Amino acid sequence: MTTIFDSTTTVKDELSKQKYIASDEIATIVYLAQKLGKPLLAEGPAGVGKTELAKAIASATGRELIRLQCYEGLDESKALYEWEYSKQLLYTQLLRDKLNDTLGKAETLAEAADKLAKEEDVFFSNRFLLQRPLLKAILSEKPTVLLIDEIDRADAEFEAFLLEILSDFQVSVPELGTLTAIHKPFVILTSNNTRELSEALKRRCLYLFIDYPNLQEELAVVRLKVPDLNPKLAQQAVEFVQKLRKADMRKSPSISETLDWANALVALNASNLDKDVLEDTLSVLLKHEADLQKAKRQLNAPPPQQPKQRPPDDYGKFSGN
Amino acid sequence: MESRILQLIAALRASGVRVSLAESAEAFSAVDLMGIQDRESFRLSLRATLIKDVKDLSTFEKLFPLFFGSGQPPEMGGNPMDDLTPEEIQMLAEALSQFAEKLRQRMERLMNGEQLSRSELEALGQLVGLNQADNLNYQKWMAERMKRAMAFPEVQKAMKELMEQLAQMGMSRERVEQMRQLIQQNMQGMQEQMEQFAGERIAENLSEKPRGENIDNLMNRPFQALSDSDKQLLQREVQKLAAALRTRIALRQKRAKSGQMDAKATIRASLKYNGVPMEIKHKNRTHKPKIVVICDVSTSMHFCSELMLSFLFALQGQVRKTHAFAFIDHLESISEDFSGTNADEAIQSVLWRMPSGHYNTDLGWALNNFNDEYMDTLNSGTTLIIVGDGRNNYNDPRIDIFSRMSCRATRTIWLNPEPPPMWNGDSDMAKYAPLCSAVLKVGNLRELANAVDDLMTG
Repeated sequence: MTTIFDSTTTVKDELSKQKYIASDEIATIVYLAQKLGKPLLAEGPAGVGKTELAKAIASATGRELIRLQCYEGLDESKALYEWEYSKQLLYTQLLRDKLNDTLGKAETLAEAADKLAKEEDVFFSNRFLLQRPLLKAILSEKPTVLLIDEIDRADAEFEAFLLEILSDFQVSVPELGTLTAIHKPFVILTSNNTRELSEALKRRCLYLFIDYPNLQEELAVVRLKVPDLNPKLAQQAVEFVQKLRKADMRKSPSISETLDWANALVALNASNLDKDVLEDTLSVLLKHEADLQKAKRQLNAPPPQQPKQRPPDDYGKFSGN
Repeated sequence: MESRILQLIAALRASGVRVSLAESAEAFSAVDLMGIQDRESFRLSLRATLIKDVKDLSTFEKLFPLFFGSGQPPEMGGNPMDDLTPEEIQMLAEALSQFAEKLRQRMERLMNGEQLSRSELEALGQLVGLNQADNLNYQKWMAERMKRAMAFPEVQKAMKELMEQLAQMGMSRERVEQMRQLIQQNMQGMQEQMEQFAGERIAENLSEKPRGENIDNLMNRPFQALSDSDKQLLQREVQKLAAALRTRIALRQKRAKSGQMDAKATIRASLKYNGVPMEIKHKNRTHKPKIVVICDVSTSMHFCSELMLSFLFALQGQVRKTHAFAFIDHLESISEDFSGTNADEAIQSVLWRMPSGHYNTDLGWALNNFNDEYMDTLNSGTTLIIVGDGRNNYNDPRIDIFSRMSCRATRTIWLNPEPPPMWNGDSDMAKYAPLCSAVLKVGNLRELANAVDDLMTG
């Protein structure tokens, strides 16, 4: 069963059924991307739910999610397709007799070569084609959601290679010709913004910037995903996380870390966000030693006091400078 | 509506946002789809299609309301005369008559509580030179000038006097206070109107501004003759250069890829075929481009260090294995500064950390630092690029270290803003030059581009 979003509100409703709280912005742009049949480029800091968005869209629309994780050195044989070489070899071995039969009747070498050429297609057919995520998304019988995760980790050449797929939803395999998508996949690219993406790639996408949520939004997410946490504690926890984000940290805690922390608080059966609980669980939230130390220092620091009044200085006139 | 969207796009382009034809077409189909009734979704559909970079989001948010205003004219207080008793009006007229003719007219204009008309605004704009302004940063300033053209400060002072006088003449305190508030509100309203008008007009000017005509000229202009705004313009070109450099490097290394036979892997693969080596495996030399750059940021290089640093920044974004160093009197690694995504910030942080002084350049000592701490960054496959004029203040050039460095690196390339005839005085360039694979003169961006070209094809 596949659902199609027919308005921004449906997007919002369907996504919230998948436990994903979409802001107006996200809903509008997802709706646009689907209507215009354009890939969606989601950018933002790590852990704000970019990948989660793709998953939610996939399950909301009832489509299969095909995921391609990018990394440095990713090339087309790992992203698109590969010929299954050993299988081809095995087949030639096993079919040797059959080949002998076919070719044996040939009188001249040229004729044998011609005959072989006619059979060539057998060895370069879909049978021996190892489908990688991109090809799978394109050849799929059913509509799919294609998630190209962390595109900024891949090399610039790979971006260029994606262009054909993103604009025309087709790929060229030299031996087979051009394969066009049966159903246009819903493509979502995510990027952590560690490097500039090329203009050409950006031009083909709709752009969505997801930032850290504000207090209310984050609280709503926590309440939805960790319903066991008592509301008062949830409020305190989210307020604390928001405060941490404002402080200058090497890595600010993301939503996913807030959720982990919330789960930890539930597991520890914490009833109040006191100092001991914080000290025990802070490492779930902050992953750098320096950040941890900093946060702990802030916790331990006494509340700012009025600067002490200097006692009247009787010896003022002697102290000179 | 359509022409308004086009104007917005033109203004975006003039403010340095890259919007392609395809994207503007996309924006129209998105608007078609979402309609224009809901301002918020209209804004989002334009934003999602036109803006593809976080850095440009703020420009869009600034420009959008100027073209598609909130539609609400600013609120005016209204005419305080409306509910005055005849004798109070009499009092007011009397009090007013004491002010000079011109000032009085202006005060009366404020009292009648009407918004500025289009023609009044136009006239004011004309007066302060709004038609030449094409930078949104001037919006506040222009509005301020318009306020001054309307003699706001004087009027404000006069108003205060007027109020005092009215009070003296026996008008009740509440009445005076009421009037004062109304006038205050009127002024506030007019001020908002002026700001809005200034913004709109600047945005329109932006959208009419011819764009990109002088990039070519700028490319050929020597680094010394570039103004700050020119440098801003060239930043993007520099980025393109770095991308080209990277592609070239990658190509060269792709070609070098089919390397030696890998005996171990071949034997392993042959097990599948009963020990017959059916598949010959090759060593897959994953040659990743490696670059070590050392950049002079001293006083003598000051005119071009910003552009050179932005070149380094772009390079680091393109080639992952880049080690960047800067020196004046000693060497510092600046790769850490370049780890962010904002070029300007990175460059400022480097220049702030390493302020240039007088005659303190010491390349020899910098090379010594490099020798002590970073020599292991150079190995086979590394391209060493040095950016600087080789002016060493008669310090020891440490040719010994430099020759060791150039031996370790596969290629050593020196980019120098000065041509060979100028290598005199305290320049040690003549001594370094023979040790380099190439010394290229880069006096302007075009030459930098050509150098990149030479470097990679040669």
